[in-house]
Amino acid sequence: MHILIIEDEPKTGDYLQRGLRESGFTVSLARSGREGLHLATEEEVDLVVLDVMLPGMSGWEVLAQLRAREGTAQLPVLFLTARDEVQDRVKGLELGADDYLVKPFAFVELVARIRTLLRRAPARDDALLCIGDMEIDVIARKVRRQGIPVVLTAQEFNLLHLLARREGQVLSRSLIASQVWDMNFDSDTNVIDAAIRRLRRKLDDPFAQKLIHTRRGMGYVCEVSA
Amino acid sequence: MKGSLTLRVSLAFVLIVGLSAAGLGCYLYRDFVGEIVRRDDIALRGKLRQVQQQLASPDAQSLVRDHPQYFRDTMSGQENSLVRVAAPDGQVLLDINAPGEHYPLPPAAAVAQGALLSWTSRAGAPGQVVSGMARLGGRQLVQVTVARVYADRTAMFARYRQRIVLACALAAGLAGLLAALLLVRGLRPLRAIAAHAALVRPGRLDSQLDSADAPSELRPLILALNAMLVRLHDGYTRLSGFSADLAHEFRTPVNNLLGQSQVALAQPRSVDDYEQILASNVEEMERLSRMIDSMLFLARASQEDVAPVRTTLALADEFGRMAAFYEGMAEERDLTLRCEGSASVQADAQLLRRALANLLSNAIAHARTGSVVTLAAAERDGWTELAVTNAGSPIAAHDLPHLFERFYRADAARTAGAGSTGLGLAIVSAIMALHGGRAEVRQAPDATTFVLRFPPA
Repeated sequence: MHILIIEDEPKTGDYLQRGLRESGFTVSLARSGREGLHLATEEEVDLVVLDVMLPGMSGWEVLAQLRAREGTAQLPVLFLTARDEVQDRVKGLELGADDYLVKPFAFVELVARIRTLLRRAPARDDALLCIGDMEIDVIARKVRRQGIPVVLTAQEFNLLHLLARREGQVLSRSLIASQVWDMNFDSDTNVIDAAIRRLRRKLDDPFAQKLIHTRRGMGYVCEVSA
Repeated sequence: MKGSLTLRVSLAFVLIVGLSAAGLGCYLYRDFVGEIVRRDDIALRGKLRQVQQQLASPDAQSLVRDHPQYFRDTMSGQENSLVRVAAPDGQVLLDINAPGEHYPLPPAAAVAQGALLSWTSRAGAPGQVVSGMARLGGRQLVQVTVARVYADRTAMFARYRQRIVLACALAAGLAGLLAALLLVRGLRPLRAIAAHAALVRPGRLDSQLDSADAPSELRPLILALNAMLVRLHDGYTRLSGFSADLAHEFRTPVNNLLGQSQVALAQPRSVDDYEQILASNVEEMERLSRMIDSMLFLARASQEDVAPVRTTLALADEFGRMAAFYEGMAEERDLTLRCEGSASVQADAQLLRRALANLLSNAIAHARTGSVVTLAAAERDGWTELAVTNAGSPIAAHDLPHLFERFYRADAARTAGAGSTGLGLAIVSAIMALHGGRAEVRQAPDATTFVLRFPPA
């Protein structure tokens, strides 16, 4: 998957390029709108991450031009903005952007959004999820480890189901709050930490193999650690 | 000068005084003219009677015939009356008419009534004529006609009219001038206000306008301006205090970031150490980021730039959701979350959850271990009240009025943890303001209750 980043701020461009490369994408970086437009038409790009506050040709102009050209009209565009104004978001989406993030954003959030846009988010919608020695029966809402039933509350099950469906992906606390409890604002992060600790006590503490891992500064991931 | 009040009012005065003076002048002029004409008519009739009497004297007949110049002098008199004496057959016995005017002879009917007839002289001046019968020398019946030309009277009327016009113009001009002078004087307090307003600038908003000397009409304006200055002063003070607070609040996380990064770079460390430091930096930066988000939210809420999307929310469901969200945290602190009551409110779901989450975070953080944290809904006087109560050490009375202020921390040591931004309750208050409601705190000896009051739908 080839991602084009159009970002003039040197540090932002560098870390986005590095982070997305390490997340398994091929990345090109353009430092100006004009260069970005050129790369978008010349290279086989699958998605554009566009900063709207570019000098000279603004991100909005780049977006409009991308949409006007035949080869790039359908190209998914995720725009980044530091101005969290409703008009800005509306403008971007009206011009045909597919999604947006407001700076500062969590890097894992960006990766999650990119994966969703590329329809490559490896979310598993299976009725039976198996991770390591854990089995989740999604329909019966039952969890077993090594064949032993683990009794979870409804919230704990929802939390585990989210992590398991996105196996191997780091999920930020705000994403978890939003997906599990429908809390779409920056809530007290201690709440998520407490919920995870509670889940771990039931799911991981009695067993040698740990499935839920903390990624400090980023969030939580469910996987069989290497 | 198109918009000048002085000019407009002066012109209005000129018009009003000019018109009333002209009206008065017209009235007096007409009255005067009527009086003069009446007197002249009486005099003309008197002259006729005088001539009639002279003609009736016994020697009149011979005098008319032999000494007509005698009549010319005595009858014409100083007024230069025109006199004509004619026999009934039309024979003119006497005609005193030096200027050779042609005046009409009143018909028999007019003669019988003694009516006056108007005529115009050759020079265009108005004239009157009257006829009567007389016995010449006591015997022969003759028709006596007396006529006059009022040339001097016309000239006098013209002069009189001129004077009236002049007087009107003078009065109007004087009135305009006086009005302008009075207005310039009367508007002096306004210029004082303007001069004062020109001096108003940030930091000098507390100087008030003096209303003591101002006329009563301007006092409401001055009072309103003073009230505006007070509001601006308050807002400005709050805003500058807020900016200062904000800078201070940013200092701690920025200092942590700077310090620990510099310490980390001072000497080579293990990968684990670097990870620790980076993760710690991320935490600090998340705190900064949350602070910025909260600040932006408050800024927008205070500009009423956040439009709540109101739906009917069953509070029992919302409480259940909050309790589920916080159940892990409550359990760790050995707290029980209890939800009571059922009511519904018209509110924005996300904003209500945000407000409740802020209150619950505080309640759980401050609740005594092992106690119960209660979420209660109740209707009171049509208002819907959502109460979050926790048992624990009470908040000091002097802190209570300030709890909803930005960055106000009742207990710095306890709440200034890594997660706190000091803006939680300010956001709760802003959310309630957006819904037309209020956030309140009630302190009982052993329980603190935060109440969200929603107005009747």
